Amino acid sequence: MGQITATLGKTIKEFLRQKTILFWTIAWPILWVLIGSFSFVENVPSEVVSYIRGAIAISMSVFALMTAGMANLPGNIAQDRERGLLSKLMSMPINPWRDFVGRILALLAFSSLAAILVTLVGYGCGARFSYSLIGLLQSIGFILLISLASAGIGMLIGTFIKHVHGAIMSGVGIAVVTAAISGVMTPYSSLPWLLQQFARIYPISSSSSSITFLLVGEDYAGYNPLSCCFLLEVWSPIQDFAGEKNEKLPWIIKRLVCALNSIE
Amino acid sequence: MDAITVEKLTKKYGDNEVLKGVNLKIAEGEFYALMGPNGSGKTTLASIIVSVRFPTSGKIEIYGKKPENAKELIGYVPQESFSSPILTGKENLMYFAGLLGYSKNTSEKTVNELLKKIELSEDANKRVSDYSGGMRKRLEVATALFPGIRILILDEPTTGLDPSARRKFLGLIQELRKERTTVLLITHIGADAELASRVGLIDEGKIIAEDEPERLKKVSGLRDVINIETAIKSEKVAKILGEFSEKKKVLETDVGYRVYCKDVEEATPEIVRSLDAIGCKATKIETEKPSLEDVFFKLTEKMVREVS
Repeated sequence: MGQITATLGKTIKEFLRQKTILFWTIAWPILWVLIGSFSFVENVPSEVVSYIRGAIAISMSVFALMTAGMANLPGNIAQDRERGLLSKLMSMPINPWRDFVGRILALLAFSSLAAILVTLVGYGCGARFSYSLIGLLQSIGFILLISLASAGIGMLIGTFIKHVHGAIMSGVGIAVVTAAISGVMTPYSSLPWLLQQFARIYPISSSSSSITFLLVGEDYAGYNPLSCCFLLEVWSPIQDFAGEKNEKLPWIIKRLVCALNSIE
Repeated sequence: MDAITVEKLTKKYGDNEVLKGVNLKIAEGEFYALMGPNGSGKTTLASIIVSVRFPTSGKIEIYGKKPENAKELIGYVPQESFSSPILTGKENLMYFAGLLGYSKNTSEKTVNELLKKIELSEDANKRVSDYSGGMRKRLEVATALFPGIRILILDEPTTGLDPSARRKFLGLIQELRKERTTVLLITHIGADAELASRVGLIDEGKIIAEDEPERLKKVSGLRDVINIETAIKSEKVAKILGEFSEKKKVLETDVGYRVYCKDVEEATPEIVRSLDAIGCKATKIETEKPSLEDVFFKLTEKMVREVS
């Protein structure tokens, strides 16, 4: 059992056993899927209801990924710092990079579980998707991008906010506000012009729109987000550099996503 | 060979010099207690030895190596409770075994042995949040007892423990001495430091005295001490007691005062009478041998710990 596995196991157990984390990452998005699937589809033609539900399920899955990265990760780091575990780890013969990788892998595993559960509930509520195999693979890439971008913001929060509750609530706050103003939780078409521009360059909302575009259709995404991929290339490295200056992974993944897009 | 060697160690935070040229040598298998009040620099010293902080100047060697190259030899238990409360005791130890690179099978065996050693086998599968303070502290000590670790550094491990848990914890530390583990105990409790084979008294970033506990007491020149428990504590009471004490200084304790006088037998009835005169009842009065806290008070005129 290596350092990465040990950190992965510990972190994921902590995520799964904390009620606050389970509520904000799984129960809260599921609640919104249930509300959205049945409240916002009145007077809508029956042939499009299932696709609207699909778009809602995607939005809330993205929100789950956002809360996991922006609230759970900094909360976990702040908790370990507050209780002296980081001091203990610094005194041990361990590699800090392995600890970092273990935490990120735990986050990805937990985020994926949350997103899958939210999507399944959406599916149970009648959400339907229309996709190709390549579209599905691209969507997985965008899910990874959302997780890593959220983790970047989460690491920034974890660096500057030392207290556990402060870190968690800041993360939740940033997730809710940015999701609301960037079109993750609201239709892109209902946003004012300025926020529409923000939604296009904010990696999380543009990735969310890309997934909706790929799995449900352009009408439900509000625009074709894959046409402004270059903006992701500019914006995401800046954000990730600020969060973890040596973190190269999201950059590479974004390049891969763009490469896939250009092939298509 | 010395397990820990510290030479002319200084540490500054801005203009604040926390450690002022500390010299320290701890032999292999020795139980050394570093005692001092809050802010005296003892935790800073420990954290530099375990590579959590870096010194401003000076030299440290762990078995002849730089501290950062000797991490595998040191088991550090910081002051804070670092175990994860939502994991079980066993899961916590398995996590540390994993960090140290143990395979799954070896981890299981080693962790079970450690749980047995700290008498937590029966509670191994309980969540740490259900543990008492003493159980939690013993679990955390176990993270520093994996095979290969030769130096145990404990930072104020008994703070916050009830008397029973404290005794049990100290019993565990005494057991470890039989295994030739070098122990550095950081404390502000005199009774804990008494268990050590050698004690260093630290104040304002300097080690002001260092010797075996009994020799420290002898060298200090302190004779018997009158320990008085009073119904009330006030400046007036302290002032009256001060009249009987050397240099007119008394040490305040949780339940009363300690008075240092030349002739205990003569002073005791006088003290009772003086307290009665101001309406303060002495609930208990006894003569005791001086403690390390008395020695520290004698040397610095400061209390080593805050009274509750």
